[in-house]
Amino acid sequence: MSAEPLLSGLPHSALDRAEPILRAGNTNCGGCGMSVGLQLLRHAIAGRPVQIVIPASCAIVAPGAFPFSAYGAPVIASTFASAAAMATGLAHAARLNGEATRVICWAGDGGTYDIGMATLSAAAERDEDLLYVCYDNEIYGNTGGQRSSATPRFAATTTTPEGKPVDKKDIIAILAAHRVPYAATLSLAHPEDAVRKFAFALAETGFRFLHLLSPCPTGWKSESADSVELVRLAVRSGLFPVLEVFGGRRTVVNVEPDFSAEALERYLALQGRFRKAPPDTGVLRAAVLARWEELRRKARDPA
Amino acid sequence: MSEELVSGNHAAALAATLAARANRGGRGFGSGVYPITPQTECVELLCRLPIEKGHVVRVESEHSAMAVCMGFSFAGARTFTASSSNGLAYMAENVFSAGLYRLPIVMMAVNRTLGPPWNIWAEHGDTLMLRDAGWIQLYCEDNQEVADTILAAYRLAEDRRILLPALVCQDAFFLSHAMARTSLPEQAAVDAFLPPLDLPHRLLPDVPRTIGGLDWPRENEVHRRELHEALARVEEVYGEVQAAFAKSFGRALADPIVPYRLDDAEIVLVSMGTTAATVRAAVDEARSRGIRAGALRVRLFRPFPERRLAAALAGRKIGVLDRDLCPGLGGILWAELRGVPGISPAQGYVAGLGGGDIRPEHVAGILDDLRARSKATEPVFVEVG
Amino acid sequence: MTGAKIIAATFARLGRHVQTFGDYAAERAGAPVRAYTRVGDAPIENRNKVYRPDHLVILDAALLDEEATAGLAAGGFILVNTPQPPEALAHRFPAFRLATVDATAIARSHDIGTRAVVIVNTTIAGAFARLLDLPLAALTAAYGDLGFSRDLPSARAAHEAVALGPAPVDSAAPAPPPRPRMSVLSLLAHREGRPTGTRTGSWRTQTPRYVTVTAPCSGACPAGNDVVGFVQAVATAGEEAAAEILGRTTPLSAVCGRVCPAPCMGSCSRAALDGAVDVRGLERHVASRASVAVRERGATPTPRRIAIVGGGPAGLSAAYELAKSGHAPTLFDAEGALGGVLHTGIPAFRLPRAPLAREIADVVALGVTTRLGKALSRREIGELPRAFDAVILALGLQKPRDLPVSGRELSGIEQGLAFLHRRNVEGGARIAGRVVVLGGGNTAIDCARSALRAGASGVTLAYRRSRAEMPAIADEVEAAEREGVAFAFLRAPVAFSGNGRVAGVVLAEVEPGPLDASGRPSPVTTDRRATLACDAVLLALGQSADDSVLPEGWTMRDGRVHAAGAPLPVFAAGDLATGEGTVAAAIGDGRRCARRAIAVLEGREEEAAPPERTVKPSEIRFHHFDRRPPTPHVPPASAAAIALAEEDAGLPDGSEAARCLSCGRCTRCDTCLVYCPDGVIARDGAGYVIDLDYCKGCGLCAAECPRGAMEMGA
Repeated sequence: MSAEPLLSGLPHSALDRAEPILRAGNTNCGGCGMSVGLQLLRHAIAGRPVQIVIPASCAIVAPGAFPFSAYGAPVIASTFASAAAMATGLAHAARLNGEATRVICWAGDGGTYDIGMATLSAAAERDEDLLYVCYDNEIYGNTGGQRSSATPRFAATTTTPEGKPVDKKDIIAILAAHRVPYAATLSLAHPEDAVRKFAFALAETGFRFLHLLSPCPTGWKSESADSVELVRLAVRSGLFPVLEVFGGRRTVVNVEPDFSAEALERYLALQGRFRKAPPDTGVLRAAVLARWEELRRKARDPA
Repeated sequence: MSEELVSGNHAAALAATLAARANRGGRGFGSGVYPITPQTECVELLCRLPIEKGHVVRVESEHSAMAVCMGFSFAGARTFTASSSNGLAYMAENVFSAGLYRLPIVMMAVNRTLGPPWNIWAEHGDTLMLRDAGWIQLYCEDNQEVADTILAAYRLAEDRRILLPALVCQDAFFLSHAMARTSLPEQAAVDAFLPPLDLPHRLLPDVPRTIGGLDWPRENEVHRRELHEALARVEEVYGEVQAAFAKSFGRALADPIVPYRLDDAEIVLVSMGTTAATVRAAVDEARSRGIRAGALRVRLFRPFPERRLAAALAGRKIGVLDRDLCPGLGGILWAELRGVPGISPAQGYVAGLGGGDIRPEHVAGILDDLRARSKATEPVFVEVG
Repeated sequence: MTGAKIIAATFARLGRHVQTFGDYAAERAGAPVRAYTRVGDAPIENRNKVYRPDHLVILDAALLDEEATAGLAAGGFILVNTPQPPEALAHRFPAFRLATVDATAIARSHDIGTRAVVIVNTTIAGAFARLLDLPLAALTAAYGDLGFSRDLPSARAAHEAVALGPAPVDSAAPAPPPRPRMSVLSLLAHREGRPTGTRTGSWRTQTPRYVTVTAPCSGACPAGNDVVGFVQAVATAGEEAAAEILGRTTPLSAVCGRVCPAPCMGSCSRAALDGAVDVRGLERHVASRASVAVRERGATPTPRRIAIVGGGPAGLSAAYELAKSGHAPTLFDAEGALGGVLHTGIPAFRLPRAPLAREIADVVALGVTTRLGKALSRREIGELPRAFDAVILALGLQKPRDLPVSGRELSGIEQGLAFLHRRNVEGGARIAGRVVVLGGGNTAIDCARSALRAGASGVTLAYRRSRAEMPAIADEVEAAEREGVAFAFLRAPVAFSGNGRVAGVVLAEVEPGPLDASGRPSPVTTDRRATLACDAVLLALGQSADDSVLPEGWTMRDGRVHAAGAPLPVFAAGDLATGEGTVAAAIGDGRRCARRAIAVLEGREEEAAPPERTVKPSEIRFHHFDRRPPTPHVPPASAAAIALAEEDAGLPDGSEAARCLSCGRCTRCDTCLVYCPDGVIARDGAGYVIDLDYCKGCGLCAAECPRGAMEMGA
């Protein structure tokens, strides 16, 4: 049996952050994966002072209008491409002033994989003292669901109505190629693992990257109640590897998938975005297995 | 006080470094820098000079350079960066952000022609493109003015009544790469002139707040009006800065607009930047021919010093010499000046696009044209290359 | 916005000029938003929002307030999406004409949107078209134009269903409240951001709640024990607390903890993961640490005297229930000791007599009068209703089934129950040579294992079905096999051979036939036969009720005795009533029978237990639980292959209880709290509290609850 209560009771212990990062009264849709991620982040932050930079995304609409804030932490909106750069300034200033502040970028896939890629890459290369979290809902959700380079193959979006013809980028491989101290993926279906990684990443110095698969019931056309189950199925099927990469070299797989066709098919069946042009599951599974072969090789044999 | 033989780029870097060090008692200094000709020498020097409690981050683009500065500034640090031309165009989104966020960032811009086709020489269109960004804009005529204006810009930008970013402009190569004797104040004098920055809306640790989220129309109209009013206060504060500057450094800081032989002038040629010196020479030459000519240099472009211009130009025949072009309209300074109430319609002249030398004979021709005119017409292109 | 577009498209189809637009901001699934449609005879140039609407459509009844109706023209329609009739709302808005339609229900029934976010705009537009008297043809065309034809049936249903309220009473609309001009905080003075206070609870179309649902084990327990309750008590509160829970329904946990076939374990959700929780072992464990039966006799203002005939599990359970609630039961049994089949039938190596005696003594100590050692005659039974307020007959199944085949008269053929009685009660019964046991139930296994202990040189058990179909407890079958009992499956006895004394059983091969009423293949006897040589045969073919014990004129109907067409206060309990044949079923029925008798005597309706929903396997989130195989029992103290003493030493401790998934019962595992995207679930007392002002009703908490202890409702 998993330890009960979950997270060993941390959420209602004195160790938890008193103020939630994402407060009630935010305007995210029900069942938003990013919201769950922000709740988990809260538990990992504990007493650390944080500053958060959020580029254009649902996440910067979520807190409501000026002067209110559904964020229970200092948050600055950056321009779409600039999260990692603006955060760089904050992080340097904190260091100049001997402050313990941890600076976090909380960006969507558009702000990470696409428009923010150069900024992200540069900050990673400079090994800035940042925790960069990409909540990846695999679309431009805030603008109504257009394809991004994180959109998976076969998914229908408003700009790929017949399904996207190419695979998504392997963002962790990109970050690992920058040899950042820490890059990891977060599964909402594995909260203990996720909170552990958040906490580890908050405590580390240098550039840390976390990739959070964030179901979007509105864009994925799924039941809001299925958001965590969708991540679980993505993990089980091998579509979303749960892993961490240390120094860009040592890869550790945290959750073993079962690679079952059942999980993959259920993952697809629970989402409307794959209904328009049902994917060739044979192609998908082959791609998953090939990717895992590469992962296993990396895990065995650090480059 | 030391006098050094430096380029306009180095004058800017040295002044910025003095300002940077002056905030060591505050929350320090930070900068994001990216090279672009003809500004590169400025950030190269900035990267070489020691700055106590300061970091210079070598970023991957102008866009990020300004974002890094915003991050530093939100944390309460003093900031500086420099750019030019296409770099400014690429940075533009974040230039606007800095203005809208009311961050007292000082940037040095070397005015250069926007490409393509590629042209690295002087033109004012790059910074004028940013005239609506909510920044203070100042245009310099020589290296000394570059150094002085950067120091003054911090004092203006960080004034509690203003709290806006400032852009200090110098002409490509004419200043940026031209060595000239330049007086630079002692650090102690700068420390006195620039007390530590205390940004009222800086990000405080652990105080929840979302900056830059959604602004409804009601909030937005008020915030934009506040920005406008803050920018409009620059002229009033400028006088105080001049007094403090003179007290600290024993030298005068040039006025927002600089008249030349204006008292009895019938015709006046208005210009910005290094062109003004040529214009002065042409005015002297015209006066020697008995023509009652005068000149006016605009240093402060934002806020636009409308009342001063009206007072200086009322009752005279006006020509405007622009080293920039708004295609479909004409020179930008000319276009702005046309709106100043109580002055005659001005005639526009566009000269020196792409960085060509505007020589005295070109200006003499312009003055002759202006004197001969009975009314203003569409802008006149003066080809100098 | 879609609704506004449909209305506009319909008017456009009718040749009118239209304009439609929404308040674009941060549209989020479920969040309130305004949209506008203008209709006119000339091109519409006013681009402002509509401040003085003629009609108003409210998609969420929670949004119907004075702010929403501000500026509405007198006599205008207000169409509200609500299951309420218009009359229920009309009094609040006397200047307007109310109309209502339950668009959410209609859209949901047409499967538009998701469970959490039902999309109602394509549906309610149909109702609005009806109010404005728009032709259906134009409406149909508009749905086609906008690509919503799939939702047209739902719109038509709303078109039909919309209810129109009374005509307005007031001729003037209330003046719209003045719009206050809010002062705006300067950007430079913005130091801290307070929570928005946006009550996102209004977005909700379904509401989570915590429920306690019957666990499959509890649902399956014939004794009616709160199985999940006692197991969880072992895990979290200790054996005493668990005994207290068991004692509510049974006094015989030491017994059931050894001999129960444990249907609870058969239905245990954990079986699909890594093996059922060892509930039987845990019940025995509890009984070994604490007395299960209550100590304090209850009180009742009207104590009744009840005769119970038969001291087996049903009678004991009835007596326990009665004494517990303050009545005065008298137990009659023909044997010199109570326990019935527990005493006479089940061997001591399976059910040691000490714990049995202790549990029986606990029942008696609660205030039960006993009359033992003498079988009541039919006449004596017939007279009991005169001496007692009620009579409970708990006689069990006393008539063993025989096997009337050739050679049955040979000596050496004996009923297994008689053999077990000799061995268990009279003591020292021996049996020699090769023994054949016929049957497949627990009695057959008990006979076979007892025969081995009574001197048999070899024992073969013949059963006409397969091993999997044996009614005997699987563990017992395995134990018998371990001890050397041979099995002959799919073999039916058709004759006995021998000369005066049995020397063999003629067994016919059986083939499985079509499924019978029990859902098992019916045994089809073939003519392929073989004789199994033996020296003795024990018949264990089942038992039936012995009707001959009922007095003249008594007939049994629905567990109650009738005479001369009228019901008597005489009830049947246990196997006599149900024929279930397990101790657990007898305990459950004994208790129910006792309650029924008291209810009849008190003139109350007999309690009918409401059917309880049990947790479905699909509601269990197995991923939440790590694999952990069942706890092994303590090895037997004796190394003998065939021990006379109890060979199963039970569980070492109560740790097995931690394997219980607690189906249908909140354990405060915090899964709901951790997964709430809005962080609006908090611990509260023994459970949780959900801040419904902010809960958006996404359903993640209920979907992720590992044990089906939450559900989404209206």
